[in-house]
Amino acid sequence: MTTTLVTDPPRVPPDRPVLHTSNIAQTWAMSKRAILAMWRQPSLVIPSMVFPLFFIALGTSAFSRAINVPGFPEVDSYLDFALAGAVVQGVLFGSVTGATALATDVENGFFDRLLASPSTRPGIIVGRLAGGMAYGAFQTAFFMVVLLPFGLEIKGGPVGAVALVASGTLLALAVGAIMSTMAIRTGSSEAVQGAFPLLFIALFFSSAFFPRSTMSGFYATLADYNPISYLVEGMRDLVIGGLTWWALSRAILLPALLAVGGVALALRSLNKRLAAS
Amino acid sequence: MMTTVSNPDPYHSIEGGYPIVARGLERHFGSGDDVVKAVDGVDLHIEPGEIFGFLGPNGAGKSTTVRMLTTLLRPTGGSARVAGFDVVEESDDVRRNIGVALQDAAIDPLMTGAELLHLQAVLYGLPKSQHRTRAQELLERVGLTAAADRRVGTYSGGMRRRLDLALSLIHEPSVLFLDEPTTGLDPMSRISLWEEIRRLNNDGTTVLLTTQYLEEADQLAERIAIIDNGKIVRRGRPAELKAEVGSPTLFVAVPAEMHDAASAVLVHFGELRPSPEGTLGVGLPDGPGAVSGVVRRLDEAGVHVRNLELHEPSLDDVFAEATGHRLEGASDGAENEPVSP
Repeated sequence: MTTTLVTDPPRVPPDRPVLHTSNIAQTWAMSKRAILAMWRQPSLVIPSMVFPLFFIALGTSAFSRAINVPGFPEVDSYLDFALAGAVVQGVLFGSVTGATALATDVENGFFDRLLASPSTRPGIIVGRLAGGMAYGAFQTAFFMVVLLPFGLEIKGGPVGAVALVASGTLLALAVGAIMSTMAIRTGSSEAVQGAFPLLFIALFFSSAFFPRSTMSGFYATLADYNPISYLVEGMRDLVIGGLTWWALSRAILLPALLAVGGVALALRSLNKRLAAS
Repeated sequence: MMTTVSNPDPYHSIEGGYPIVARGLERHFGSGDDVVKAVDGVDLHIEPGEIFGFLGPNGAGKSTTVRMLTTLLRPTGGSARVAGFDVVEESDDVRRNIGVALQDAAIDPLMTGAELLHLQAVLYGLPKSQHRTRAQELLERVGLTAAADRRVGTYSGGMRRRLDLALSLIHEPSVLFLDEPTTGLDPMSRISLWEEIRRLNNDGTTVLLTTQYLEEADQLAERIAIIDNGKIVRRGRPAELKAEVGSPTLFVAVPAEMHDAASAVLVHFGELRPSPEGTLGVGLPDGPGAVSGVVRRLDEAGVHVRNLELHEPSLDDVFAEATGHRLEGASDGAENEPVSP
């Protein structure tokens, strides 16, 4: 210690309030802001609620007899089969919104305002992701509730339904984190939105809409290597098969692992950005 | 063994009283032959309770300096202490003690004024019991009480700046940074913001403001530093700086083909000074009385004078004398340096 006697306490005018920053309160406030932003931009959010339902309505009416195709798993209706794909589709859509908002913060300078405050740095990202998770949970529950009157039957029962919500929530975290990494690296909302078609392609080259057993050739190979296939199938088994450890592990563990990796990437890119500035 | 008893160095002694001290502050972008020295060895000693103006054209290094002092950008050389703390080593303490309103009033357009103040209160750790009263107080102070529950996206430019100022004051900072607080504002909004800044300063807040407006620096700042190409080229009180330039400048507008003839006449009256396109400028050490003589001699030389303007020394003259070019009007076509990455 060489400076103990030299460094006097900072000059603080007597009437200044005593500040107690709390990482939890800050992160919570940032999460609320993320949810508020979604709520106030219905035009960005509604497509992620409506499109999957539209797909499922189309599929259920057009492919109602597809379930008799050899190789199709045993299901009561295409609706039961398609729920998992719709949830994943919706969450992929929705997760772009949060990451785009993050990139917009960087673009318009609000990110700097946050960094100029004594707020927790990871909280800026974590708050956004928490908002995205809340939305993912809401979407999954919303799809199930809307489709119940149309004959949706979840074989996994209430526990299976809760597991589905957990799965959607974790997926929202994973995709949100990966997209946020991109938002922080590029600082461009256009780049984030530009990545969206890639997500969509990844979804179509998976078993989200048809079982892998009915696919052939190059398409089947892609679907075999696509993690989304396994995620969707895990969720689907909860709906059409029932509550099994195998279904749970794919529906929960897979997005959880993706989320751990995604969040690590996002925080690393934040640290890199802070160190580079 | 280092001595721990006394340190005569004002840089390390907070009781030395400087809310902002910078020493040889540098920020270079790029490397090798492409290196851009956005800030190139800036020294600052800002006194408690003063308004310090940082004047310079776009790309001169003002914003880059402010970003370093507010911990948003790491210096590549030199060091700085703000509110008694090192901007690199104790950045979190710096952030707690300063208020920052950055260029372009960066505010989330989806939130309302009241919501943003609340968020800011949480980020700065203001006690919960004070959130509401403090927000109301600040909204009233900047005249936004009626607009508190409207989304910022619906605010005018002036309203956004005022909200931005209110946000930066939530924790009653002792040092306030305002980066071009009135750029793009209409004259009325500018004046009301000036009044607010003066009021804050009267309450004891130290203010560092950057501006590319001479009048703003002249009106508000007790001391100014003129920065150009990353270096401080002049510093002092505006009145003293103007007095140093001394004599008034006469601008003579003449047709382009008569420039040389006119210059030959003008040099007899004083030194030629930088001037706007299409005009010649000459310093008149003998004061305004020399104008009639200038006109007569130009007339005798057959130079057709289109217009004459006599300017008492202004900060623009100080700027021109220091840098060889004029500030006003130069800001739009100027070769800009990167302000920040």
